[in-house]
Amino acid sequence: MSMRSFVVFAALALVAGRAAAQTPPAPDAALQAKLQLCAACHGPTGNSTDPQYPILAGQTARYIYLELKDYKEGRRHDPSMDPIAATLSPADMLALGDFFSKQKQAPNGFKADGAKVAAGAKKSDEVLCPMCHLGGFVGQNEIPRVAGQHYAYVKKQLTDFKARRRTNDAGNMTSVANTLSDDDIENLAHYTANLN
Amino acid sequence: MVHRLKFAHVAVASALALSAVAAGAQEISGAATTTAKPMSNALVPITGAMLSGADGDAKNWIHSNGNYSNTRYYPGAQINTGNVAKMKPAFVFQTAVLESMETSPIVINGVMFLTTSFNHVYAIDAVTGEEFWHYKHKMGPITTFCCGPNNRGVAVEGGTLFMGTLDAKLVALDAKTGKLLWETQIADPDKGYSETMAPVVVDGKVLIGTNGGEYGIRGFVKAFDAKDGKLLWTFYTIPEKSEGVWAKNDLTGRDMHRDIDAEKAAYAKDSSFFQTLGGGVWMAPAVDLKTKTVFFVVGNPSPDLYGAIRPGDNLYTDSMVAVDLDKGTYKWHSQYIAHDVWDLDAVSPVILTQAKDASGKMVDVAIHGGKTGHVYVHARDTGKLIRFSEAMVPQENMWVLPTKTGARMLPGANGGVEWSPMAINPKLRMAYAANLHQPMTYHVEEAAYPGGKLWLGGAFKTIPGEEQSGRLVAVNLDSGKVAWTVKTPQPLIGGVLATSGDLVFNGEANGWFKAFDARNGKELWKYYCGAGVNAPAVSYMVNGKQYVAVAAGGNNQIDAKRGNSVFVFAMP
Repeated sequence: MSMRSFVVFAALALVAGRAAAQTPPAPDAALQAKLQLCAACHGPTGNSTDPQYPILAGQTARYIYLELKDYKEGRRHDPSMDPIAATLSPADMLALGDFFSKQKQAPNGFKADGAKVAAGAKKSDEVLCPMCHLGGFVGQNEIPRVAGQHYAYVKKQLTDFKARRRTNDAGNMTSVANTLSDDDIENLAHYTANLN
Repeated sequence: MVHRLKFAHVAVASALALSAVAAGAQEISGAATTTAKPMSNALVPITGAMLSGADGDAKNWIHSNGNYSNTRYYPGAQINTGNVAKMKPAFVFQTAVLESMETSPIVINGVMFLTTSFNHVYAIDAVTGEEFWHYKHKMGPITTFCCGPNNRGVAVEGGTLFMGTLDAKLVALDAKTGKLLWETQIADPDKGYSETMAPVVVDGKVLIGTNGGEYGIRGFVKAFDAKDGKLLWTFYTIPEKSEGVWAKNDLTGRDMHRDIDAEKAAYAKDSSFFQTLGGGVWMAPAVDLKTKTVFFVVGNPSPDLYGAIRPGDNLYTDSMVAVDLDKGTYKWHSQYIAHDVWDLDAVSPVILTQAKDASGKMVDVAIHGGKTGHVYVHARDTGKLIRFSEAMVPQENMWVLPTKTGARMLPGANGGVEWSPMAINPKLRMAYAANLHQPMTYHVEEAAYPGGKLWLGGAFKTIPGEEQSGRLVAVNLDSGKVAWTVKTPQPLIGGVLATSGDLVFNGEANGWFKAFDARNGKELWKYYCGAGVNAPAVSYMVNGKQYVAVAAGGNNQIDAKRGNSVFVFAMP
């Protein structure tokens, strides 16, 4: 069976990118306190340096909000995130999503392998990743930006989707990852880490 | 519900998650494009008598589907089969929103009210197109909707307009000024509720359902007090006991290949899923004032394709339902597909008319054009199926169950008849339906409730190399026979207008808006609008002159080229 036949597509927003560029507003005191919790792993502006923690700067606001909600409501699990999300209100989650989405993403410092990047790009087209994540993996709404994300983080997520350890997307990514070999995952993580 | 499909793709898409775009929508630049003209003095309050007599009123168009019976049959004949060839544009009104348009404009004494994606409303002069006012709904921080930021129009009573919003609110506007009078939250958008349908207002009650069949909502129809937005009643389309009669066959008698024993065992273990079983109602209900009854059809169960998690008939999904107008209490239902795993739900609005029963006697009926490709004719008092039409689109492999690798079945998940309202011509005894033909494979994937995110439990994919097309079809109400079919190069979404001049108006995704002879389907007139014509047309008269209006804004669901305009036509 073809790779393509497994692909589950989601989400195509036509209005993506319509929002005007804005100067990030200064967070208020309440949000500042919540941001302290995030900063320890993700960095003050969401540009984490430890590659096991995802870069949040420039991520879509909607995706950050929904993931925080899933941690709080038990659909996604992580030993660090579960207790933190439990303390957040819906308003906090919206504010955090808004804040990080407006930060500038910094380079991740990953030295990608050229051959793997090329193979990852080819695989991405084959399984139609851009149908949901858009060209260049810039993301839209509830579909995350993956461009420039840490290699280690992306590799772990794809592996977890495939093994059904992560299921909070209602199985869409499991459907996709089912057709990916370990090499495919490796190549895709190189490819996306190298996009910025 | 519905799924955006790109024609160009070989394997294609389902599922959409067009959400949280509201922030962007509020930043549409230069929205205040024109200098407003003072509101026309001719605008009058709409009385109950005008609303109930709309089927005989050739001057105004005051219900999204023409009248409480949703016939979309315009009683004027000034423009007719003999002269339509000479029809020309009178004006084009450009909105400030370049996105899908599905609006049915409302026209009162020469004042037109139209809506756009993202819940903008415009009041314009229906003769010249000059703008009176422009209202932009202030969208909340969370919106969740699958298939485009659409809106299908306002309802009107007295001097007030009513609109449902993407953030699941009902807003009331002063028709003269566009000022917000009140707004009320219908349901929680964070859980997947949103509004795109035009409400219906009757006897001081605003009736509205909800979108959300792709998000695990619990569907409903609600009635709000037109004065202040206070909730009067709620009819849940998903009862707590949703198992039904364990139907083996669909309403037309075809085996649906259910494993009833396994479903019964699963249902006995857990039936609490009614809270997330879907069942949206997302097109305008019909109202029979004689019997004080509201008629509507209910959408698909959630998740769309993964049925194991929701055993039973999944009442009242994929059904026509009748409820009491004053109390919202159940009268009857008739289910087309029990335990649907193909997203072939019931959407296109119910039409109330008359047709011959099995013994040849003319009786009151309620009809529905299904995504299955049949027009169903029900006795209006009991819901009993009198007949179903010949298939309007190809059907194959019904009802093969979805598999992990995909099972091919026709129709594809978009229809037959999608949300597009049908029209009837009672003189000619015909119903006119805009159909899609999109061959698809159905794929299932196990999926737990994802908390207000898109929840399909699999995917629908179009099939590489298989042609897609549309069918405008006339069906005889008394026999169920197809009288004529016009094949179109692209699937049809938008809806139909029929007139007493024996015309049928229908738009296409490629930009053509056409008039046909209602008797035989002969094309009599066409005009190229430059963007997808995927909205239902309306007709009205000002100063003794008939006009035909239609929005050409393209369509998100079938990715028809976007536009921002309403085109209005008249005789030169």
